[in-house]
Formats: sequence, structure tokens, C-alpha cells
Amino acid sequence: MIELDVRRVSMSFGGLQALNGVSFSILGNELIGLIGPNGAGKTTLTNVLDGVYKPTGGEVWLNGQRIDGLPPYEIARCGFGRTFQVTRAFRRMTVLKNMLVPAMALHPMARQRDFHDKAMEVLEFLTMEHLVNDYARSLSGGQQKLLELGRLLMLDPDIIILDEPFAGVHPRLMGKIYEYIRVVHEQGKAFIIISHDMDSIFTLSKRLLVLNFGELIADGDPNEVKQDPAVIEAYLGEEEEEEGPVVIPPGRLVAAGETEEESDA
Amino acid sequence: MDGTFQLALRLIADGLVMGFIYALMAIGLTLIFSVLGLVNFAHGEFYMIGGYVAWFLVTKFINMPPLLAVPLAGLATFIIGAVFDYLLLQPMHKGEIERPQEYAILITFGWAFILQYLTLAIVGPWPQKTPRYFDLPTLDLGTLKLTGAMMKAGFIPISATRLTAALISVILLVILVYFMNYTWTGKALRAVSEDKQAAATVGINPRRMSTLAFGLGTMLAGMAGAALVPAFAWVPQVGVPATTKTFVIMVLGGMGSMPGAMIGGLIIGVVEALGAGLIPDAIRAYAYRDAYGLIIFALVLLLRPTGLFGRKS
Amino acid sequence: MKRSLLQWLIIAVGAVVMLGVPFALGNKPYWLHVAIVAYFYAILASSWALLAGYAGQFSFGHMAFMAVAAYTSGILGRDLGMTPVQSIIIGTLTSAVVGFVIGVLCLRLRSTYLALFTLAFSEILRLALNSELDLTGGPNGLTLELLVDTTSRVPYYYIMLGLLIVSLAFMYWLANSSFGLFFHAIREDEEAAAAMGVNIVRYKIMAFVVTSLIAGLAGAVEAHYIGFITPNILIIAQMSIVVAMAIIGGVESLLGAAIGAIFVQFMLELLREIPMPASIMPTLAQMEGTLEAFGLSVGEHGILTNAWRLVVFGFVLILTLRFYQNGLLYPIIDRLSRRPVLAETVAKRIQATEVES
Repeated sequence: MIELDVRRVSMSFGGLQALNGVSFSILGNELIGLIGPNGAGKTTLTNVLDGVYKPTGGEVWLNGQRIDGLPPYEIARCGFGRTFQVTRAFRRMTVLKNMLVPAMALHPMARQRDFHDKAMEVLEFLTMEHLVNDYARSLSGGQQKLLELGRLLMLDPDIIILDEPFAGVHPRLMGKIYEYIRVVHEQGKAFIIISHDMDSIFTLSKRLLVLNFGELIADGDPNEVKQDPAVIEAYLGEEEEEEGPVVIPPGRLVAAGETEEESDA
Repeated sequence: MDGTFQLALRLIADGLVMGFIYALMAIGLTLIFSVLGLVNFAHGEFYMIGGYVAWFLVTKFINMPPLLAVPLAGLATFIIGAVFDYLLLQPMHKGEIERPQEYAILITFGWAFILQYLTLAIVGPWPQKTPRYFDLPTLDLGTLKLTGAMMKAGFIPISATRLTAALISVILLVILVYFMNYTWTGKALRAVSEDKQAAATVGINPRRMSTLAFGLGTMLAGMAGAALVPAFAWVPQVGVPATTKTFVIMVLGGMGSMPGAMIGGLIIGVVEALGAGLIPDAIRAYAYRDAYGLIIFALVLLLRPTGLFGRKS
Repeated sequence: MKRSLLQWLIIAVGAVVMLGVPFALGNKPYWLHVAIVAYFYAILASSWALLAGYAGQFSFGHMAFMAVAAYTSGILGRDLGMTPVQSIIIGTLTSAVVGFVIGVLCLRLRSTYLALFTLAFSEILRLALNSELDLTGGPNGLTLELLVDTTSRVPYYYIMLGLLIVSLAFMYWLANSSFGLFFHAIREDEEAAAAMGVNIVRYKIMAFVVTSLIAGLAGAVEAHYIGFITPNILIIAQMSIVVAMAIIGGVESLLGAAIGAIFVQFMLELLREIPMPASIMPTLAQMEGTLEAFGLSVGEHGILTNAWRLVVFGFVLILTLRFYQNGLLYPIIDRLSRRPVLAETVAKRIQATEVES
């Protein structure tokens, strides 16, 4: 059972308080959306969880082990995977080599050949197997994004944080990414998805975390969170007095749990 | 005690004098760093060339007022720098270069190599001496005495050449401050160093500013060399310690901070002078003169990379 | 399979040529000397390429490691009476230790700062070597016992060639192993590599240790061949030459850097004197004054280029950097070395899906 425990995590840079006492827990393979206005601290939180930053306060526990302050490569080995807002594939390495890096990092004694099968499996799932020997830099932007996702799987993480996976993505690719998330989630992995794309967040996530100015202002069922006045204020800057369905820009109304037809166009 | 104190004061004065010249060079390098975002590994070579140009002008054109050699040397190094930037650095901004950060280091490193050996080939390895730019008038104002070659303030002697060099540096620094703060071009340069894209949106051409900044930076280095060339025997290798020293100052003062470069220059000048003069083993202390700055440099890089006043580029 | 056959053919031909060189040049010891120095630079250039081109650590302290090994070896030989072989081993280990320390210090430094720091380290070392007269002999340098007690250059030729082959083989093995994979990932994107589980601390330090060990070994052996070492080996121009050789040959290719070094060294030697027809020689002798104004001089058979050959070299470097950033040999090497390793795996999977359907 996956267990992530974030306890009163704070992060300050000089005088700037980027995170303030953020606490939440994940149990099992949850599918969580992390939203908040720009600058709320979502990427900072990811960086703290991933070990890029050492939190100035609080603790992070993963599967019973304390991980805050560990370097990123240790945390990756503990079962944490993440993507970056800007795609960061290893551009001048082949797709195959990209895939092999995390696999070999976790199993330094193995031979690279041992992982070819798994790499091909993942690439086939992403319909990228024909690109296996191409250099990553010759891939299109969307393909590079998929490569990043595939690379993550080679890490076999328990928890995956996707930082803006839908940003600037071609609609045809959206379906593929949705599928990826669904399939991998079913395999037992937990997801935290950071996105400004409210449609996708509401479609996919069963639980919503909302950050504002470094503080966690909401945590729960997406429908309820949507109507939480604090959340509305964070996004709109003023309190809404209306009852009834509330529109959170820029999306349409979507009830969580309803499967949305994934359009290919 | 009194003797050491006097010695210390003399050393500090010496150090400050050199410090102004170091500051001039460091500000040039800082200007390049803050506008172009790269470290010019050939900076010392421009200093060296500035010195040679001045030497050439002064010794071959005897009728020319010697001080004119300084701005002329600056012009020469400006042109060389601007051309270098235009031909070899601008392509980075046009996306023609893979891995631009590496490239910037290597190409300036390579340029330093060419400049040094080109100079060696043309001028030869023998040290060249340049005569003093002008003789000080003879004055006796009590504690302040001036003779042709020397000024003496109380017990502190300062050679005319160094004094001239320091004065030139101070004047140039003042002009530079005025330029950067009160002229349109200067303010445009500062704008580009803060935020390239924002500057572009208000109509400033960042590429032209880059070339200008590089040229100005190398011009300052050249003029520092021209100012100092009467004080030392000049060989093509003088650029190398100058480069490392300037780095040290830039890192100490804070990468990208011009006031930091100025203060850093003065500090290094003084540290060098004190280190060379006060450590008992005189010969060794003098030989390690350049090392003090380097050690400070290494420490700053490791412990406080942003330096005294710096900000990240 | 055709590709690897071609590779082996080239290597075989190359090996035969290089092994046979002393017989061809037996009566021209000068050129044997050039070859020995060329191999020495080849080791330096290729090890630097491993550090910089593969692992992305653009360190300018490479010559310093070499100097540490050479000086340690010389001092041990002089003060403790060790044989060259013993002192070389200890010297090499010392440079590896220094490499370790520098690697640790450089962990948090990014490209420009790393370059600056290693440059400073090299300069500090040079100053120290120049100043500690009792220990190091100062600017006049240190004499070392010859490795092989003979006046012939031939044994040294084979020693240096052997070192080159062994170190290249070792570095190639490293580069093709998971080390190489991690080095490459670190160079491409250090943060992403860490997020993928690559222990960047360990591998960055390892890059320094391995390359400083190789450079140190080569340096110590070279010093025992030439018979002395001075701090001048640490002047920045020397580091520039090594860097330039690696760039011209191809900074991301070990073999490219090595070939680049050998090529450059021979070119520099060939360019020392531009041969002129005997008929022109007297005229040239008369023009000596004019020539000297341009830094040239008159030799026995032609014009001596003096420092100009280095200027030419510098221009080649700049042009290569600007237009052939991956090295002049890159296109060839890339074509020869890209292995579609997955051919079998892909075939198997196609078979498997065919069976399923």
C-alpha cells in the first residue's frame, strides 16, 4: 500500500515564503489533481517532494521512510517519479537510451540488454516503437512528452507527479495521455497531476488539492472543492455569493466521475 | 609597530592604486557578463593588446601626445571585440549554435589563444618598455611632493606611471558611470542586462546591444592595458594573469554587479599588496602574489558564489 | 554486420601502421619523438573528452592532474630513491586522489563556474610549483630518472602507444557501459538525470577520478621519458592546446579526440618549416630582416613559421568550433558507431505479435 505523508511542509527562499505548512496524505493508488493560481507553489511543492529543494520546515514520509532532504536520485529510487513543466528528454541520446537511463540507474549491475524488452513494451503502448533508435531531439514536441512519460515507467515509481502534462498538447495527443494515466493508475500507481486545464483535472481526478500563496486551502472531492468559497476567491479574487453551479474558468462544467468522451479531433 | 604601520599604509596605497585599474578591467568583464550572459575568457588578452597598441603608438609616433594612446588603444580593442562578437558570438542568438553555454566558454578560450599567439608572432617575445606618459610637474607642498617620476604624500611614495594609470582609470570610471546612468545607450544596455525580452519590446535591439556591450567591455580592458603599459615590461603573456585576476574580482564582487566589480577590484588590489608586503618570507610572498586573489576566488566560488553584491544572471 | 566489419578493418589497418612506424622512422629519431609526444597528447585529449564531452564537466584543470603525477613521481624518485615504475604508480594514484578532491569541490559548480574554478586551481598549482624552489626546483623544473635506460626512442614509442591503446580501450569500455549512459545523461540534463535516479554525485566524482588517473599516468610516464618537468606545462596555452585537439577531433568522441591530437601534433611539426625551392633560398636569406618583422625567420630549407603555426592552429580551432561544433571527424565516427542494437529485439517482437494474431 502506497503511503505518502506530507507533514506541515514549508519552503522559504530568502524572504519569500513559497510554501507554508502544507499537509496532506496519500494512501494507495489515488488520482489527485493539484491546482492553484500561478505562483501558488505547485512546482515548488513538487520540487520539495522530489528532493530538488530541502524543505525549510516539516517532513515528508514515503512508505514509512523519511525522504525530505534526500537528493533527487535517492527519492527517485524510493519510488517517486516526476515530469517537468518543460519537456526534458535527453535530446542527444536515442529514445532507447533515454528509456534505459532510469532502468539502469535502478539496477546498475544489470546489462542494458535486459531492459530492451520492457522498453519496447512501453514504447509500443505509446505507439512510438518505430522511433526507438531516433535521437530524442528529432522527435516532435508531443512525442517528446510521451517519451518523458514512457521514461517514467522505466523507473517503476509508486507515485508519479505530472507537472502540466497537457500544456500546449495537440488534442490528438491528449487522448493518449489520458489513456496513459488511466492504464498506469489501474496498475496501482498514484498520480498527482498539476494542471491549469480544468477539463482534464475534473475528468481524471478523484480528489483535488488546491494551493494558494503556498498554503493548502482545499483538499477533497472535486465537486465540493469547486464550490469552496476560499477556492473561488483564490481564482477570481473576490467572493461569489451565488448558489448553484459555479464556473471555474476557463473550463466547461464537468462533474467528476462522469467519463468524458475523449475526442480524437 | 610604527614601522609596520607605515609599511601597511604604503602597501594599502599601492594596492588602491592598482585596485582602480583592476576595477576598470573587472567592470568591463562584468558589463559583458551582465549583457551577454557569458564570461569572456579572452579579457586579459584585450588588456594585453591595448598595452601593445599604446606602446606602438607612443614609440613610433613620437610627436603624438602620449595620453592619446589610451583612447586610441581603446578604439582598437573595441573594434576587435565588436568584430569578434559579431562574427562568433552573435550566431548563438540566432540559434545556429548547439550547446551555447559550452560554446561561449570554448570560443572565448580559443580567441584568447589566437590573440596571444598572433601577438607573439607579430611583436615577438621580448619585453617591451614604454616611456612614461608625462612627467609630473615639480611641486613641493609640504607633505605632498611631486617630482618628475614620483609623488610623495607624506611617507607614501607612488610612482608617476602608476599614479597616471590610476587617474586614467578613475576618470574612465566616472565617464562610465555617467554613460550607464544618464545616456540613452547606457540605460538601454542596463535594460538589456536586466531583461532581454522586455528590452526588446520597448524597441531596444538586444543583438546590437550585445555587440556594443562586448566592444565596450573589451575597450575598457584595452584602455586598462594602455594605462598600465608604461609601468611594466610588456610581453604577450601578460594577458593571462590579468584574465584570472579579473575573474577573481568579478566573482568576489558578485557576477553581474558593476559596483561589486569596482569594490572587488579595490579589495583585491589591497589584499595583493598587503599579502606580498607583510608576509615575512618576502621572496615567497611576492611569488605567491597572484595566488592570494586566486585563493579568495576559489573560496568565494565554493562558499558564496553570488559574491558580495551579485545576483544570478 | 557490414558496419562493424568496416570498423574492425580500420582499426586493424591503423594498428599495423602504428606498430610498424618505428621501423619506417628508425633513422629519424626526431619524428619518433614527435609520435611519442603525439600519443601523449592523444591520451590527454581523449581523457579530457571523456570528462568534458561525455560527462559534461568542462574542466580546465586537466594539465594540473598531469603535473601532480609527474612532480610527485619526480620528487619521490629524488628524495626517496624510488624506481621510476614505483614512483609513477604512486604519482598516478596521487593525481587520482587530487582528482577526487577537485571532483567533490566541483559538485555544485555549473559550467562557467566549473571552468573558472578549475582554471584557478591550475594557476595556483603553477604558482606553487614555481615558488617552492626547494621542493620542485622552481621555474627550472625537476629532473627525473629515465624510465628505460637507453638512448633509443623506440621502447618509449611502444610504451606510449601501449598506454594510448590501453587507456582508449578502458575509456571505451567505460563509455559503452552504464557509466557512459549516466555520463551522457548528466551532460544532457543533470536535473532530469537525477530525477531519473542517476546518482549524479557518484558519477561526476568518478568522471574526475578516472580521467585524472589516466592523465596522471600519461603525464608521469611522459616526464620520465623527457627527463624533466617544469611548471610551464601548466600554462594556460598548454591546456588550450589539449582542449583544441579534442575539439578539432571531436569532443564527444574519444577516438576522435585521440586522432585529432595526433593529427594536430604532426601538423604543428610539419608546419614548423615551410620548405622552399633551393633556388629561392638566397633571396630569402637577404630578406631576413623583413621576414623577421613579421615574426618569421629563415631556416635551412625554407621559412620558419615560429609562432605563426600556432596562430593557424588557433584559427582552425575557431573555425571548427563555429562550424563543426562536434568535431571534424564527427560525421564519420557517428556513422560508424550508431548501432541499432534493437534489431534482434524488434524482430522477436514482430514474430511474437505475428504468432498471436
